[in-house]
Amino acid sequence: MNFKNIFTRKAKTSNIATQRLKLILTQDRFDVSDDSMQKLQVELTEVLAKYFEFTMNSVKMSLKRDGNSYVLMADFPFKQLKKSS
Amino acid sequence: MGKVIVITSGKGGVGKTTSTANLGTALAMISKKVVIIDADVGLRNLDVVMGLESRVVYTSMDVIEKRCELEKALVKDRRVEDLFLLAASQRNRKDDIKPEQMLDICERLKEIYDFVLVDSPAGIEQGFHNAAAGAEEAIIITTPDVSAIRDADRIIGLLQNQDIEPINLILNRLSPTLVKKGNMISKNDVLDILNIDLLGIVPEDPGVIASTNRGVPLVHNDGSPGADAYMRIARRMIGQRVPIPEMRDDNFFSNILKWFSRNK
Ligand SMILES: Nc1ncnc2c1ncn2[C@@H]1O[C@H](COP(=O)(O)OP(=O)(O)OP(=O)(O)O)[C@@H](O)[C@H]1O
Ligand SMILES: [Mg+2]
Repeated sequence: MNFKNIFTRKAKTSNIATQRLKLILTQDRFDVSDDSMQKLQVELTEVLAKYFEFTMNSVKMSLKRDGNSYVLMADFPFKQLKKSS
Repeated sequence: MGKVIVITSGKGGVGKTTSTANLGTALAMISKKVVIIDADVGLRNLDVVMGLESRVVYTSMDVIEKRCELEKALVKDRRVEDLFLLAASQRNRKDDIKPEQMLDICERLKEIYDFVLVDSPAGIEQGFHNAAAGAEEAIIITTPDVSAIRDADRIIGLLQNQDIEPINLILNRLSPTLVKKGNMISKNDVLDILNIDLLGIVPEDPGVIASTNRGVPLVHNDGSPGADAYMRIARRMIGQRVPIPEMRDDNFFSNILKWFSRNK
């Protein structure tokens, strides 16, 4: 039995593969380059940053298939809402 | 009126031909009338995997060019009732056949047979389009790795544009031990990413190569994990409610035994 994995929490191959795959498919499905996804992410983040406090590098975006169309999924974990001035 | 189902993948070598041979045989074993069509013109294989290569006289090309009647081109499998193969020409190229011609063959066959399974070539070019031309449903074969799943996604998009529905998934060569160790993408991740329904899981089974080499589809010798998986899938295809077994780690019990013996 291997208890080491439980404690070290090293990134598993399967998790890396799943993450890579999601990114590749998002680009394939959108037919866009890595650059334009990055740009979209930066721009979305800029807009949302007016309302939420969060860290840029925690943002995750992907596309999910839904029948004949796609759903853009974006996770923006935030610390708190900004108080409106 | 039967169903025409294309068996396809995008990526090569993931198990389309193996699946066509085994599902065709399995469906015939449960009393369905079946034709399997090799659509891999120029690189035909299904006849060899089926062990019928020595009895192929005519091919789909002969039917299209009217050298022979469709019925006469079908090779009967003598090991089961109502199982036939329509072989591909080895001398021709994939674009020697047009989608309308494949459609015509499929339309005529489904008048008589319950299932027409089309073994698609790899790729997204003409050969794939011909294979899909007569199909109303599709089975996608993928293995649990990044490049095969990426190609499967591409193919699903193309099939959906042609209004092929349903599109179901067979996850081939899954190794429970590797999934446990975290080296393989899991079933749930694959389903989540591709977002189509799971028809079945076929485990990695050394029996597959042996059966290909002998020309006897795996489902003829029951008891092997691969044969069991294909029989279950065939039953699901005829509408029976057969559960998809959760894969148990082969080494689960031996691991426990080892652990106990070490701690004695
Ligand atoms: N479940 C399995 N377990 C072990 N080996 C397998 C399994 N499925 C397929 N194989 C092996 O993988 C190889 C490719 O299989 P197959 O010819 O069915 O793939 P294919 O998708 O038809 O290939 P192609 O794209 O070249 O037509 C064969 O050697 C076969 O024996
Ligand atoms: Mg093949």
